[in-house]
Amino acid sequence: MAEEMKMRATLQGDVTDVKVLMNHVMETGLRKDPKTEKFIPAHFIDHVVATLNGKTVLDAQWGIAVAKNPFINFRIKGAKAGDKIAISAADNLGTQYSGETIVAAK
Amino acid sequence: MPAKKSHLVLPVFLLGTLIVLSACATRPEPGKTKMAPLELEKPAFASPWVRYKGWPSEMWSDYSTVAAVVPSIPAEPIKIEGPITGDPKKGEKLAYDRSRGGSCIACHIMGKPVPPLPGNAGPDLSDYASWGRSDEFILNYIYDHRKIKPDSIMQPWGAHKLFSVDEIKDIVAFLKTQKSPAEFKDNLENPKTRPIPVETRDNFDPFLNEAMAAVDKGKELFGKEGASKKSCASCHTNPEQTFRTWAASMPRHESRLNKVIGVEEFVTRHARATTGDDYLLQSGGNLALSIYLRYLSNGQPINVDTTSAEHKQAIKRGTELLGRKIGQLHMACVDCHTTERGANKWVRGQWLGEFRGQIDHFPTFRTSRSEIWDITKRFQWCNVSVRANELQPGAPGYGDLELTITALNNGMKLSVPGIRH
Repeated sequence: MAEEMKMRATLQGDVTDVKVLMNHVMETGLRKDPKTEKFIPAHFIDHVVATLNGKTVLDAQWGIAVAKNPFINFRIKGAKAGDKIAISAADNLGTQYSGETIVAAK
Repeated sequence: MPAKKSHLVLPVFLLGTLIVLSACATRPEPGKTKMAPLELEKPAFASPWVRYKGWPSEMWSDYSTVAAVVPSIPAEPIKIEGPITGDPKKGEKLAYDRSRGGSCIACHIMGKPVPPLPGNAGPDLSDYASWGRSDEFILNYIYDHRKIKPDSIMQPWGAHKLFSVDEIKDIVAFLKTQKSPAEFKDNLENPKTRPIPVETRDNFDPFLNEAMAAVDKGKELFGKEGASKKSCASCHTNPEQTFRTWAASMPRHESRLNKVIGVEEFVTRHARATTGDDYLLQSGGNLALSIYLRYLSNGQPINVDTTSAEHKQAIKRGTELLGRKIGQLHMACVDCHTTERGANKWVRGQWLGEFRGQIDHFPTFRTSRSEIWDITKRFQWCNVSVRANELQPGAPGYGDLELTITALNNGMKLSVPGIRH
């Protein structure tokens, strides 16, 4: 299995730029299998939480409009080099995904 | 994780020596004389071949392709009495019409005002009226230049049925209105001063290059068992070492198929013969494995053999193909990609590169299309762009072309997956 997510956090001034690349099919449930003509069941990430040293800094509810292998980029203030940023995500089938990275000075 | 499997294999190595030897007796070790098992009968692509969705669906069966020459005889000059009386307004519209093979603006500067981003693969025609050409000359040069200037890279617009004689007469009337040098709004509009595009993005940054996901996927597939209960990693226990230079030595001539094959077709046929997987050419799995195998050779200088008899012959055939005029637009690879002709010039807003520099980054992620293209798909797109029917993936002509162009890139370092517009 390929890794669940790739993360990178870099400090630029007092702002930390966080990039997250998730590995997920993000099936909408509206797509048909061209061979069987049957709908492919929905399978998508519907909840994403980002924390800085354990404190929530982003809490997002997602739907089927997010593309396959989602990419999130956000900026947070107040982080220092060496701080831990963690992501936890869950999909509509209840599978949990997680990733973490350490803030790096640029 | 395929890398970890090697540790498991070591303790049982002695016990399993006989089995391992028999199962992997013909494993592909580059440079060794033993031949890798390949499936040799079935087509390596989804057969019958159908052109990709979203591509032009027109067929150009009356014109040459990379596989076959359809003779195109230069037209005899058309004689006309007196000056041409065409409609310059209609002519201007036709000259800018992109549906007829790219419009004159693709290669020439003309018009007041000049349409956006003119090319300069052909001469600047903004003062063509003062060149002193007769109406008959202009008409015939557009209709079919080949009796006047055989080595021009221009298209035989009339002889190849892109414009009728009456339409060309209108274009002649329009050209006769071109009396003063073009003025450009800025440096970007002028092809002489337009900055040459340079790719500066880090192609190994997974946050920038979507194709980096294919490296992970390829690695995963490498360790996945197929129908035969074997995976690539069953025999190739140390891929990082085994394939450190292999991809940089591809493509190569395969005597059992009597053609040149690249990494992609090798993957298809070798997997069929070993793991039992069917990674058809142009499928996601094939691209992922091909990218992964090249990724293992990244940084190595491209080093295809140019000395063996088979490769010399293939390069001779490939060189002939590079010069073959194909399609309704009657263009050869050399017309756009050699400096003597169109290379290092603009076709509309697109920069034409030389052959050297076109190989090291394939398969590459094309941001303009959100797709990974291998070199075959790139060849197919070139073909369709000059209105020539493309060949199926794995066609012998594409193998010869891949080898010939790769030989011109020998010494350049492999950098896969690439990222380009």
